[in-house]
Amino acid sequence: MHHGQGDDYSGNSLRLADLEDGQTGVIVSVLGGKMLTKRLADLGITSGKDVRVIRKTIFSGPVQVEVAGSKLVIGWGLASKIMVEVK
Amino acid sequence: MTDEKKINIVLAGQGNSGKSRVFNFLTGLHQHIGNWAGKTIEKAEGTLFYRDHTIDVLDLPGIYSLTTVSDEELISREYIIKQNPDWVINVVDSTNLERSLIFTLQLLELERPVIIALNMTDLAKRKGISVDARKLQTVLGVPVIPTVASRGSGLTKIIDRVIDLKNARPARKVHKYGKEIEQGIEKLTGLLKDVDLPYPLRWVAIKLLEKDGDITAMVSERKPEAVEIALRITEGLEEIHGHDSPLVIADERSLLASRITRETVKIARNRKLSLNERLDALSTHKVSGYLLMALILGGMFFMVFSFGNWFSGWLEPIFAGWHDWWKINAGTSFWPALGWSAVESVLALVQIAFPYILPFYILLYLLEDWGYIARISFLMDKLMHKMGIHGKACISFIIGLGCNVPGCLSCRIMESKRERFITAVLVTLVPCSAVSVIVFGLVGKYVGLLWALGLYVFATILIFIVGKISSRLMIGEPVELIMPMPDYKTPQVKTILLQTWEALKEFIYIAAPIVIISGVLIQAINLAGWMPAIASVMSPVTVNWLGLPAVTGILLIFGVLRKELILVMLAAYLGTTSFSEVLTSTQMITLAVVSMFYVPCVATISVLWKEYGWKKALLISLIETLFAILLAGLVKRLLDIFMA
Repeated sequence: MHHGQGDDYSGNSLRLADLEDGQTGVIVSVLGGKMLTKRLADLGITSGKDVRVIRKTIFSGPVQVEVAGSKLVIGWGLASKIMVEVK
Repeated sequence: MTDEKKINIVLAGQGNSGKSRVFNFLTGLHQHIGNWAGKTIEKAEGTLFYRDHTIDVLDLPGIYSLTTVSDEELISREYIIKQNPDWVINVVDSTNLERSLIFTLQLLELERPVIIALNMTDLAKRKGISVDARKLQTVLGVPVIPTVASRGSGLTKIIDRVIDLKNARPARKVHKYGKEIEQGIEKLTGLLKDVDLPYPLRWVAIKLLEKDGDITAMVSERKPEAVEIALRITEGLEEIHGHDSPLVIADERSLLASRITRETVKIARNRKLSLNERLDALSTHKVSGYLLMALILGGMFFMVFSFGNWFSGWLEPIFAGWHDWWKINAGTSFWPALGWSAVESVLALVQIAFPYILPFYILLYLLEDWGYIARISFLMDKLMHKMGIHGKACISFIIGLGCNVPGCLSCRIMESKRERFITAVLVTLVPCSAVSVIVFGLVGKYVGLLWALGLYVFATILIFIVGKISSRLMIGEPVELIMPMPDYKTPQVKTILLQTWEALKEFIYIAAPIVIISGVLIQAINLAGWMPAIASVMSPVTVNWLGLPAVTGILLIFGVLRKELILVMLAAYLGTTSFSEVLTSTQMITLAVVSMFYVPCVATISVLWKEYGWKKALLISLIETLFAILLAGLVKRLLDIFMA
């Protein structure tokens, strides 16, 4: 796995929070402190993984996603720090 | 019994993987069970006698990693390493295998003997997921046994294996990372070879590359140059991969977990959406989700109220008959009257509190076992952020509806100290089942159901306002919500009834004795003629400010022990449960408001004390008492205007 371009999110990458219901993306990078990236990594949210938005809720509420075959709920602020490339 | 026949095992795994179910099955104990991650907050120990062996079983809280960030993770890690268990049983949720393997891979690095309980295989099958246990066993290099902990299937097989393999452990298999990382590990293990460390060498090397604080500090004491070299290796890794070295390792571990999953799991495609998946879509949808939540919580409220009223009303004439029998046969002089107050206290507890508390717990545990509470967290997250906390706090609130004590304890699911404290303060304002007894049995029954509902809405608004204020007072960065979303499960009648019984046991063993002693004490004070003196001390507050009968003063004091005492003692003191004969509607509502918000009961105070220190516990109690009295007095004055 090559991570060389991992932090290049200026191109065609989006915030996870911007994906529509049902859309899938590949995680490019997670912008955040050590604690945050670790918590996410424990749950399988790491670069190179596919992530699918199952459902969002109203008023910029949390996002329900499927990653590593598991369903997770991620707060909006956090979903805005996960950069993905749409497949 | 010889030492050889003693075995100790530890249950470890991620949240909501079924560890506590395994524990309960093996030990016959009753660790709390529910369908959300984070229930087990303290380790639990039990013993199993099987095939001539004494097996000590330890249930650890669910953790997602063994890199120390949270206390639970540190405790679990230390237990697995230092206590040197004979076996670590890694309970794995087979419906979430990939995520679970991320933890399993870390566990294997600790080089303890591990057996994997591939749990919830029944649910996996229903979801069209089939895990090849034999292949998984080959890939991981440790025994893998499929289990269904809720039915107990596969669990004796694990214990058989534990006993059979006691002296013959399988060879360890090393799971390798990418080339650069492995080179680094090799270099470090070479350096550390002659250093005395209580941990496996390879593991220490990995932790150094992961920049684990504890391990780095330990190694720098014994061999500082290893830390320096580790630093250089991590810098090299960061240059190649473009991000932080712990993340590089996490990424690789995560990809390894994906690969193993791809090799061992088959998912049947194109199957029909199951009922549970449809329900999930409906219950988290932006419109129907909220409607359903209102319907479920409202329905719960209504069912508790109507069942409670019916049951309480059914018991009333029966117990009244007993009282008449007593008066005729024992008389009404001092001692028989005192004796009856002991009986009456218990009867009042059964008649007033039990009918509401019983359905309440059944419905609460039904929602919990089903998996609905996590949906409430999802739906309410945004609103919770306005109070400086996040959606998971809803779990504590819902638990707090049953009893504030586990409600406050469950605040440990919140990630930061600040959020834990704010959530705990708010939980003490959540009307627990004892307070609900007063709201339903007094206001609901005699003033009207809408008024009772109004009180709950009022409490909700109040909690929101207090949350908003405390998030302003307690400065700090809000933590974002990250929560595994459990699948809905078909609730098990047996689990629900068992848990309800556990909750009611507390009622029998703790509430009943307190009620008897308090009842006799109040009656003795009354018969000795001291009541007016005590009541008059409190009357500036109770009579003048709150407009309540003087006797409520002493009831509110006893209510600190348990809040349902307020109503139960009132009935015992009056000798009747027809409260409308002695209280006006305004008085009932006022009494309910004071009871809802004044000082948390002693059990809750002691939990706050334990978790946050005596200063905070007493401060909360004092502020809430003053606030409740102020609030109830204002409510009374408002009601005087509107109900006149």
